[in-house]
Amino acid sequence: MDCSTARDLLPLYFDGELDRAASREFETHLDTCADCRAALIQLDALRRDLRSGAPRLEAPAALRERIRSEIPRPVTARPRNPHQRWFALAASCALAFVAGGALVPLWHAQGGDSGEQTARDLFASHWRALAATSPVDVVSTDRHTVKPWFAGKVAQAPLVQDFAEQGFALVGGRIDYVGSARVPVLVYRHGQHLIDVFVLPQASGPARRSATQQQGYSLDTITLGGQPAAIVSDMDASELARFIQLLGSTK
Amino acid sequence: MTSSQAIVGDLALRHLDAAYNLGRWLLGNEQDAADAVHDAYVRAARSSDTYAGGNARAWWLAIVRNCCLARLATRGSEQRHVAIDQIAAEHGREAADSLLAHSDPADVEDRLDHAQRRALIARHLQELPTEFRETLILREIEELSYREIADVLQAPIGTVMSRLARGRALLQKSLGPLRPNEVNHGL
Repeated sequence: MDCSTARDLLPLYFDGELDRAASREFETHLDTCADCRAALIQLDALRRDLRSGAPRLEAPAALRERIRSEIPRPVTARPRNPHQRWFALAASCALAFVAGGALVPLWHAQGGDSGEQTARDLFASHWRALAATSPVDVVSTDRHTVKPWFAGKVAQAPLVQDFAEQGFALVGGRIDYVGSARVPVLVYRHGQHLIDVFVLPQASGPARRSATQQQGYSLDTITLGGQPAAIVSDMDASELARFIQLLGSTK
Repeated sequence: MTSSQAIVGDLALRHLDAAYNLGRWLLGNEQDAADAVHDAYVRAARSSDTYAGGNARAWWLAIVRNCCLARLATRGSEQRHVAIDQIAAEHGREAADSLLAHSDPADVEDRLDHAQRRALIARHLQELPTEFRETLILREIEELSYREIADVLQAPIGTVMSRLARGRALLQKSLGPLRPNEVNHGL
């Protein structure tokens, strides 16, 4: 890739709009080109500047109340109302997820349907991300960028660590759905392997190690910064074990 | 009264901050932004049956944006200047508040620098032409994808990309070179 092509692709890479192959090609160029690296840093600095100087403003409570009062069937005021099927459906999905989350550590111990569903969700999410134009929503190798990005999008920002020196580089993060819950996903790269770490809601309690496999991809659970988490990747068992050890080695 | 109206109401409430923030940066003051978002809700609820699927947030923000632009069109240039001053004044007030909140004299100067920098950024963003300002807000603050931004602006993705590039270049130019202590961060 020559520099002028790379310059055209630079904003797309920065905005997470390149597919994986193009991203990798771009990163190869980036390794050799100080000018493009500097341009990328400038874009990142501008984004930080904008987020600190123009933080998202919250809608006034009066506006929220006014609109709420004008909705024909208030969706949050009386959830028992039989007409509120949509809300009830959403609520039951959320409940199903909490129940599913509670079963996460027990996948194999109990073989419950909800646990299997959660595992299927996690695999599906990983494959979807692999097929998407970009597996991450925020591209950054800097954990200080990734963690604040999560804050405000999910109830609890996860513990974010980078293990680039040990061969597991932080690529970025995204928000994904498990059941109907939004969960933060940390994305790492190890050689050609892409690793998703799903940080699951606290409700699942202390995670017991459990592993499962599907079509050459494996899923393993750990505790990350006090929260249960699930790792999905196509790494072999020894590499996965090493990665789990790294994740577990820090506080 | 259909259930689709309740869904639109829920959609509006879920993305109310995004809508209000966009309105604030398009219109420049709180009252107009709140009124425009309310207009947008009324319009969205009325046309809820015509919603044809696709990205619901982009559909909602597109309506918000149209309501804001309609308000902008009826407004005189005089008022527009008042709006910019109001934004600057509010950011100055925030800066003062953040200084009062932590009054350790050792780093007051440092914090003043940061507060001034933030006010400067807000001011330069507000002074950008509307098409660049809205694109930057949707991308950098709301974190919409190019496709979603294109849906909101009702413009081709190529237009989104060129506005984003131009907006970023203009803002980088007006904010001046990178401060040395930022070079270490990230990437």
